[in-house]
Amino acid sequence: MSDVPSSSTQVVDYRRRQRLARIAQRLIIFGGSILLAVYVIAPVTWLVSSSVQTEAEIVSVPPHWIPEEPTLRNFKAIFSATEEETVTYETRSGQDPAAGGFIPSTASSLLPAMANSLTVATLVVILNLLVAVPAAYSLAKIRTWGRNATVYFILITRVIPDIALVVPFFLVIRKLGMLDTIGSLVLTYLAVTVPFSVFILLQYFEGLPDELDKAARVDGCSRFQALIRVFLPLSLPSLVAVVLFTFLTSWNEFLLALMFTQTEASQTLPILLAAFTSDFTISFSFINAAGVLAIIPPVIVAIIFERYIVSGLTAGAVKG
Amino acid sequence: MAGIRFESVGKKYSNGFHAVKDLNLDIRDKEFLVLLGPSGCGKSTTLNMIAGLEEVSDGRLLFDDQMVNYMPPHRRDVAMVFQSYALYPHKTVFDNIAFGLQMRKVPREETARRVQDAADKLEISHLLDRRPSQLSGGQRQRVALGRAMVRNPAVFLMDEPLSNLDAALRISMRAEIKDLHHAMQTTFVYVTHDQAEALTLADRIVVMKDGVVQQIGTPDDIYERPQNTFVASFLGNPPINYIDGAVEVSDGETVSFVRGDLKLKFAGETARKLASSNGREIRLGIRAEDVDETRSSGEDSLIRGKVNSVLPVGSDQFLGFDFCGEELFFRVGKDLDHALGENVALSVDLSRLHVFDKASGASLIW
Ligand SMILES: Nc1ncnc2c1ncn2[C@@H]1O[C@H](COP(=O)(O)OP(=O)(O)OP(=O)(O)O)[C@@H](O)[C@H]1O
Ligand SMILES: [Mg+2]
Repeated sequence: MSDVPSSSTQVVDYRRRQRLARIAQRLIIFGGSILLAVYVIAPVTWLVSSSVQTEAEIVSVPPHWIPEEPTLRNFKAIFSATEEETVTYETRSGQDPAAGGFIPSTASSLLPAMANSLTVATLVVILNLLVAVPAAYSLAKIRTWGRNATVYFILITRVIPDIALVVPFFLVIRKLGMLDTIGSLVLTYLAVTVPFSVFILLQYFEGLPDELDKAARVDGCSRFQALIRVFLPLSLPSLVAVVLFTFLTSWNEFLLALMFTQTEASQTLPILLAAFTSDFTISFSFINAAGVLAIIPPVIVAIIFERYIVSGLTAGAVKG
Repeated sequence: MAGIRFESVGKKYSNGFHAVKDLNLDIRDKEFLVLLGPSGCGKSTTLNMIAGLEEVSDGRLLFDDQMVNYMPPHRRDVAMVFQSYALYPHKTVFDNIAFGLQMRKVPREETARRVQDAADKLEISHLLDRRPSQLSGGQRQRVALGRAMVRNPAVFLMDEPLSNLDAALRISMRAEIKDLHHAMQTTFVYVTHDQAEALTLADRIVVMKDGVVQQIGTPDDIYERPQNTFVASFLGNPPINYIDGAVEVSDGETVSFVRGDLKLKFAGETARKLASSNGREIRLGIRAEDVDETRSSGEDSLIRGKVNSVLPVGSDQFLGFDFCGEELFFRVGKDLDHALGENVALSVDLSRLHVFDKASGASLIW
């Protein structure tokens, strides 16, 4: 603002009001952001904090956001998977639930379950890209008979709720002899996620000019090379969206995993976590520790790929 | 390479639209051929068929007697400049130009040399490290040209490459493209809807309408001897004027055009061709520039009317001219001074009259 005195008080008034309005606006945005941040972060904070608390401390009122006697015994139990401390039906009477200090019998399955989850999610992500990218490219840039019908068909498969598919899926998986295998999960997750991936990529590829495709092919690219050398580098943001979406979907999936898996050979993290709550005794601190482990991989994936979600990558492709 | 031959080629899009119909065309080696026509007439479709970007639905397309209907674009030795330029946004200017060579496994040093050469010629060497988004429209256009140039293709295709440039740049680029054709000594096929571009650049022009070829010929043929009213109207600025009337043959040898008081005597070849058409309904075409006021070649060349509008265009002026209730436009020298509403008589150049059949629009003299 200039310090030249205004000739009229009205102008001063107007300026002051404008400044006040701007400050008020900032305060509102700031306050809103804080609220949103608290809403998002608080549960996670409590999850992390309570995972290093004892069972007794967790249930104290008011809750301790910062643990007074932090302990890593939950994590130790998960990683060393020692038998001595775990509670089984036979040994549970030897411990005092009120004092805490028990570990569920399935604690040792946690790391294998995590490995299963990671394997499934990674496979689903990779296969999704392998299937969806060429599919979306050909639907977007190769005009053929039946193209629209195909797109509608793909979309329609997405509006069917998963619960309606569980039984048919189960029958197919059983017929294939794939019950209690990782393969059954990969197969069904693909069926659920590929249409959506195709849809995301299709939108994006259609937005890229046809002439770019033509230019690449005249420059000597086959269709496949045009896809790899021109379209993929340009569609990084949507590829990242597909990776995140498919990874998170398979990482969190519960219903199908519940149906198809029975043992450590194929059980995924959500199934195991849910099982903890229905154990003979419930240890909240242990469940939370497991929860902390469960969110680490998605967070890492999100951090790796977040910076690739940049807009404006295609600016300057065509005139303008 | 490379003569290109279309034999009864048709193109039907998957939605059933017939974009090109029964196209027969012989493009000669090293020729500069221009496809000219209004929007949607199938020019780009024709060009894309040469490039292999669109499939040929009917007929045969031959490169030097070899049928290429099913040959994919990357096997054809063609380069193309697009209207939107279609530069690769994620590549630098250098890589944009080099891409076609890289795809064809040209050695690295050779590629660098050719890119540098092309960039020097197009005066864009200082831009090689930039990305397309950091270039002006004119610079992008040059990069697009460079990308096609370095390939040294057998056929050079251009789809309205100048239409996104401003007027001045467009005219200077025309000259450069003509030079490029001389320098490269290859076949050029150039698409435009701009008649001036076509007349300046072309060895031969193909005029199209609704997927059908209207006329093929040198710029002179097309402009001076249009075969139908569509071609006659499409070229010329302001467009050709039409007057409907009839042929009148008197004394067995004087052949004239008659419409009310207007009587114009045909000359030479035209007169001979119409000598047996007494009474035939025709449409007379007079190009805007084919009138003159200063000439006084007798009563049988004068057209009379009232001045409706005067539009100076720098070098000369357009005269809106009311003839029996029809608006005609003529181009006359700017030293002529006319008031609106004034009655004037203009002398028509009788040797340059165009005569068309009234019903079909086909020329009766060419
Ligand atoms: N992929 C397509 N599917 C269906 N119809 C199409 C397709 N591409 C073009 N057409 C139609 O074919 C006709 C010719 O198109 P084309 O692009 O060849 O025109 P053009 O002469 O290049 O016009 P312009 O000067 O506007 O570029 C147009 O009517 C257009 O609507
Ligand atoms: Mg076009």
